[in-house]
Order: sequence, then structure tokens, then C-alpha cells
Amino acid sequence: MKAKPQRLRTFYLSLFFVLLYIPVLAVILYSFNQSPSTAQWTGFTLDWYRQLFRDRVIAEVFKISIVVAISTSILSALLGTAAAITTLQVTEGMEKKINTVMLLPLLVPEVALGVSLLLFFSALKLPFGYLTLILSHTLFCTPYVYIMVQLRLKEIDISVIEAAKDLGAGRWQIIKTIILPLVAPSILTASLLAVAISLDDVVISTYMAGPTSTTLPVHIFSMMRVGVTPKVNALCTLILVGTFFIIGFSQFISKKSKQREEFN
Amino acid sequence: MFNLKKIKQNAPAVPILVWTGILVGIPLIYVVVLSFLSRDSLGNIVFEFTWENYKRIFDPVYLKVFYNSFLLAVLTGLITLLIGYPVAYFTANLEANRRSLAMGLIILPFWISSLLRVYGWIILLGNNGLINSLLLKFKIIDKPLTMMYNFGTVLVGTAYMLIPFMIVALYNSIDKLDRSLLEASYDLGASKWKTFFKITLPLTMPGIAGGFTLVFIPALGLFFISDLLGGGKNIFLGNLINAQIKGRNRPLAAAFSVGMIILVLLVLYIYTRITKNKKEGLFL
Amino acid sequence: MTKVLLQLKKVNKYYGNAHILKDISLDINDGEFITLLGPSGCGKTTILRCIAGLENIDSGEILLNGVSIKDLAPNKRNVNTVFQNYALFPHLNVYDNVAYGPRVQKSLDEKELRKRVAEVLELVQMSGYEKRMTHQLSGGQRQRVAIARALINEPDILLLDEPLGALDLKLRKYMQTELKHLQKQTKTTFVYVTHDQEEALNMSDRIVVINKGEIQQLGDPREIYNNPRNLFVADFIGDRNITRVEILEKNNNHFKLKLGSNIIDIKCFAAAAEDCEAGETAILAVHMDKVRIYCTETPNSLLGEVISIHYAGSQVRTEVKIDAEIVTVIEYQNSNCDYNVGDKVYLSWEESAAVLLPLEDDTEGSNV
Repeated sequence: MKAKPQRLRTFYLSLFFVLLYIPVLAVILYSFNQSPSTAQWTGFTLDWYRQLFRDRVIAEVFKISIVVAISTSILSALLGTAAAITTLQVTEGMEKKINTVMLLPLLVPEVALGVSLLLFFSALKLPFGYLTLILSHTLFCTPYVYIMVQLRLKEIDISVIEAAKDLGAGRWQIIKTIILPLVAPSILTASLLAVAISLDDVVISTYMAGPTSTTLPVHIFSMMRVGVTPKVNALCTLILVGTFFIIGFSQFISKKSKQREEFN
Repeated sequence: MFNLKKIKQNAPAVPILVWTGILVGIPLIYVVVLSFLSRDSLGNIVFEFTWENYKRIFDPVYLKVFYNSFLLAVLTGLITLLIGYPVAYFTANLEANRRSLAMGLIILPFWISSLLRVYGWIILLGNNGLINSLLLKFKIIDKPLTMMYNFGTVLVGTAYMLIPFMIVALYNSIDKLDRSLLEASYDLGASKWKTFFKITLPLTMPGIAGGFTLVFIPALGLFFISDLLGGGKNIFLGNLINAQIKGRNRPLAAAFSVGMIILVLLVLYIYTRITKNKKEGLFL
Repeated sequence: MTKVLLQLKKVNKYYGNAHILKDISLDINDGEFITLLGPSGCGKTTILRCIAGLENIDSGEILLNGVSIKDLAPNKRNVNTVFQNYALFPHLNVYDNVAYGPRVQKSLDEKELRKRVAEVLELVQMSGYEKRMTHQLSGGQRQRVAIARALINEPDILLLDEPLGALDLKLRKYMQTELKHLQKQTKTTFVYVTHDQEEALNMSDRIVVINKGEIQQLGDPREIYNNPRNLFVADFIGDRNITRVEILEKNNNHFKLKLGSNIIDIKCFAAAAEDCEAGETAILAVHMDKVRIYCTETPNSLLGEVISIHYAGSQVRTEVKIDAEIVTVIEYQNSNCDYNVGDKVYLSWEESAAVLLPLEDDTEGSNV
């Protein structure tokens, strides 16, 4: 009697995950295809990767993307953490306000946010390029850091903070010696997520890029619009591998910090 | 009367509110203002009040685009809900080890480049794509099927892109469900299906509403999906705004953006009505 | 010579509309072990948190060595707390946990600090555990670290919030002796919060019984146990039979009482009995384990019928129905006679086992 719904469950979930990952696997697979067309598999090659490494433009936009992603990650880690820690001491009503304001960038569709920033920055006559890219990416990455740090803060036993107060620590000492060490793993994971999100953004970057400085996803997007070429597959595959390194690293961090607290 | 103590307590919040206010609040207000302004023949903005931009929204061509986008976002919400609910429900009922594996697989796509994930569908569905070549090879068809460049393709791509949001929202809600309530329901004689419709579904309503909102909002504006999968025939709001920006018709782009935000506000309003008196927030 | 160390004067505390502490006034002497005892939600922990500075008081005054500390932040009060769940810092090892106080106050240099940490760890018998992380410790060990961490600042008062609550029974008994010993050794004033009367009676120099935000009685353990001042204390401390009686006659400390159809004479020297007058209804509270059962008629006893007998290990619980009231008797050895359910028996007790208390207004609705 019991086996039947379980079998249905396994079947449904397996089917779902296969569908979820088939498009990704297809991209990876065809990055190794000799033929430039997906119509047939003509044999294994690394040629497309070779071509990729010779592409000067890609190297350039990749560099821009990395600089933007890392700056964004640092800025949004600082801002998101500061905002989350601030909610610890303000009144409940103010905490709700901060929540709304911090999450606002996620509630506005990216196109609308991108357009509004484009119009605003051009009204301010800001030069489009690194500055606008970093500002806008920080804007939509900060909420993720805020959410992740906030979730971690909610897990901290309030009496630990009271104990610190009781033992003589002032507000800054508590932040420095108790809160920051306890949320550090979350900040790090969130910063890595911010890197990934920044490196993935197409919509807002389309509006923020300068005449000479575009980002990797915007460039890939324009390549894709031209048509299917295994070079794009190779590029996507490389990005995927890079992302998986980041994920592996962040998993490693969160596992380590969890182990430490398992018994607390 | 001002409560001095409260003001002092809330003072640290000021920089955060100011920062986000400048970067989100002012640009959004500016967009609204701009949507009422005119432009000269070179595309430069002229500070002259006009309803013209909004009148143009009601041009049947543009109205159709609004309708398309709204339909796409709603259908995306429904499809991801229908496919995602069983995924979330089954996952929540897995034993601990398998559950974290399943959750990992659901969350992983958040990290994978969205362009790559769209591109995968081109490879699968294209005229020279994987599916067509397989079908041709096994002689199931003798002419490639046209699966690309229609509304359905865009819908598939958008739903595929956003379904992890839906599942995570649903999962959080289902996972919070007190299992003893379900047991009580069985104990009182309700069947599995009855329990699902009378207990599980109503109690996970906040998750459903949250998931729908989280899917609906981005579905309105992911122009790269419709660009890559929809071709030139299927224009959505995102593409339209993008085109107006390129055509230097900024006031019109602003008006369309305002229209888009109004659609979002509508959904957010419905969301807050559904989740009223519930503790769960959209993200926290 | 006792010196008053901490004074609470008419302390009031509200949470919204709930009046949590009602005019609490209390003097705590230097070097004593004082216990705040009461059911959960009675306000005992709130008093502790007000002394620690973790809660602000709405009115009243808190004086430490005669100086007001009510507006001082917790980190400015020379008072330390051992939290209910220990609240050890999960990211720090034992040494760094204990060293936390002096470090944030910058009161000791690292060399002195090492010596001092070693001293307090020695005191709580945790020497050698310095490098352990807190999650590698057992409940009892965490407890000791929490105490060491609080003691290192040499506080005027150590506040302990149900510190033994999370430990198992055996360890709890052991730690009771340890804590008392530690208090004697360090000569620190301990303010101890618990809902466990046995803990309170075992360890304390004085006990403050609290209910609904009000002090019910203050006294040494013997006094609290034997001479409850009101019905709440009589009911909360020790297992007592609480019955309504009519006072027929009063002659100084001698009373003639009517319980159902029984009439008995008792002597009661408790202060509360002085408020009981002839002709009134009052409360008779008798320790369950001090009532004896006789099968033959005994002078000055209550006649009743055995309705149930429960054997629970070394003790026997017998329920006897006396007219409308049911009296529980706990016997540890063989009783005076054999009896079975349905038998008529006579109940009597030694003089000190019974207390007579005036009926309180709010007892009307209760299950007395």
C-alpha cells in the first residue's frame, strides 16, 4: 500500500530534475562538438575553448565583469551587514521600515529598475561604465546579503548578546566580538552569492554599460542573438565551472560553521 | 509628541534609509516625472507637461504588448505553481538526507548563469536542435518541427527560469506546516485528498501567494528570454521598453516602466491581502 | 553584622498593560544566598533582569551599596549573571569565554588575565579545559564555565537564573551542593532564581516567595516551610492538604475547628493564625507526610473513609474522604494498622504539621 505513492514521488521528482538540468547539460555537451551545428555530433574537440582564449574582446569584458563583481560584492556585504545589524537595536516599527526599503530593489522588475537608474544617472551626468555598473549591481545585491545576514542574526540566541552586555561589553564591543564573528560565515556566503549574481546580470547591465565598457553577460547576450555557436557553449561552460568553484567554497564555509555550532 | 528615546534608538537607521532612498526612491520618482515630459526631435527631454506618453499606452499595438506581458507573467505564475507544488510537497516529505540533496538541486540553478539556461533551450528546441535531430534520426518525423519563436517557447523559458523561486517559497511554507494537524485530520476521518484541500492547501496559501509574487515580478521584465526564444514576432513589455530606450524615446520608456510598476503594485496588493495577519514575509 | 548590599525600593515593571512587578521592595544582605522562588511567570526572572540592567524599571529605585544603579547600562553595573541556558559564546573556547569580561573592560593585562582565568577555572573545577570549544562540553561543564565567566569580574552580586534547569536530576542534586559550597568559598552574594522548592530549601540562607509580581513571604527556609504566611505559600511549598474549616473557638493559639462533622482542637503558633477569628471560615493546611492513619478511635482526630491507596516505591499515598473533603496521606513506613479501600479510619497529626490561615478574598473561586 505504502510503496505506490512513494514510487510516484520518486518518479515525479526525478523527471523534474532531469528536465531542470537537461538544458544545462546540453550546453556543456555541445561545447565539445566538432561541428558548429547542433544538428549532429561529429566528435570531441577542445577547439572552441582554444578560440575562446584567443578572443581579445571576451578577455576585456571578462576583466570588467570581475572588477565589477568583486567591488559589488564588497560594497553590498558592507551595506547589507550594516543594515541587518542596525535592525537589532532599532524599534520594531523601524525594523519593518528597513525591511521594506532594503527589499525594494527586488520588488521592482529589473527592466523598470534599470530604466530608472539609466534616466537618473544620465540626469546626474554620471559617466556610464564602472561607476554606474558597480552602483547598480550593489543596489540589487545588497538585499541578498541583508536577507542572509538577517536570517543568521535571528538564529543567534539573544541571551548570548545579553551575556556580553552583562560582562561589561559596550555596543561596539558586542558587534565586534560577538555579532560579527557569529554572522561572518553568512556574510562570506552572501558575498559569494553577490559575485555570482553580479556576474550573471544581463538586464540592468544592458542599461548601465558604457560605450566601451560592457560586461560579460551583455556581451554573451549579443553573441547569442547572432546565433548558436559552440564558442558560446564553451564560454557558458567555463562560467559554470567557475561558479561551481564558488559554490563549493561557500558550501565548505557554511559546513564548517555549522559543525561548530551543532551542539549549541 | 516626539519620543526622544525612540529617536535616539532609531538614529542608526538613517544612513541606510538615505542610501536606499537615493538609489531607489529618487530614480523611481524621476521616472514618474519623466513619463509626463515631452522630447524634441533629437530625443532630448523637454520640460513640458504632457499626457501623450500615457495616451500612447492605449494604442492597440502597445495595449497588446501589455496584455501579452501580463498574460505571460500570470501563466508563468500558474505553470510554476502547478509543476512546483508537487516538487515542494514531495521534497518536504523526503527523509533528511534526500531532502537536502533535492533542495540543493532546486537551489543550484540560482547560481547558474541565466543566459546559459535560456541558451540550453535554443539548443534543445531549435530547428537544428537536439530534439529535432533526435526525432529525425529515429525517423519519427521527416521535417524539423518548429518549436521556437512563439509565445509558448517564451513561456517555457520564463517558467523554467523562475520555477526555483516558486519551489523555495512553497517549500518554506509546506515545511513549516505542523504535521500533527494532518495526522489529526486523518484521525478525524478525512481522506488524503480531503486533508490536502482542507488543511494543507489553505495553510500553505502564504507560500503560494509569495511564490506567485516572486515569479510574477521578474516574469514581466526578463527581456532577454523573449528576445532569444520569442524572436521578433513576440514583443513583451521588456523588449518594448528596451526598444524605446534605444530609440531615445525616454519619456515613453518611462511611461511603460510606470505601467509595469503599476502591474507589480497590483500583484503586491493582492499578496498583502492574502497574507494579511500572517507572520511570513516575502523574503524574511 | 549584616550589611545591606542591594536594595529594591517599590520597583514596578510593566510589559504593555501587564503589571509584571508590583511594588517590589527587598533588601539583600552582603554575602548571603538568597533565592527568588515562584511559579513560572511570577516575575522572579524579571526581578533578576532588572537588577542586571537587562530590563528597565518603570518606577522605584535600585540601590547597590547605597548608590542608585537603575539608570546604568548592564555593562556599567558590577553585577553578573549566569543565564538559564548558559549563553556561552559559541565561537569562543573556554578560556576566551571566561576571559571575555576582563578583556572588554580592559581591566587586566594578558599575564594577569591568564592567572585569573586559571584561578576561576580551578574554582569551578574546570582546569585543563581551556582550549575546548563550548560545544564539546557536557551540560554540567558548560554550567561551570558560565559560572566561572560570571565570577571572573568579581561581581558584588552573582545572579543565577534557573541555572540547574537544564540538567538531569542527579547532576542537579550534586550541583546544588557545589553551588552552595562555591558561594561560601567566594563569599559572593548569590541571588538565585528557581521554581524548584527543593533547590530553594536546600541552598538558600533566605527565600523570597513570589507570585503574580508580588512578594508573598520572605524568610529562612525553615520558616517558609513550616510557617507559611498565606495560602499561596502554604500550597506552593511542601505537599499540603488544604481544607476549609470553621473556627468554633479561639483561645490565644488554641483553636477549636469544625471540619464537616468532625470537631478537633489544634495549636497553631504561626503568625497568620493570629488573623483568624472565631466564627470565621479559615484554611487548614496540613503536610501530607505528617498525617498518621489509625484504625481505632484516636483522640482529637478526623474520621474518614479510605477511597484509594497508591503504592509508589518507598511511599504509600492514601486518599481519605472526610465528608466533602479529600485528604491525602503520604506514609513512608508501615502504617499503624492495616486498612483497605472502604474502611473507616482516623486521621491525626503532630502539632507542628498544621497551619491555620485566614481565608483570602480571592480564594473564593479557587479549588480550595
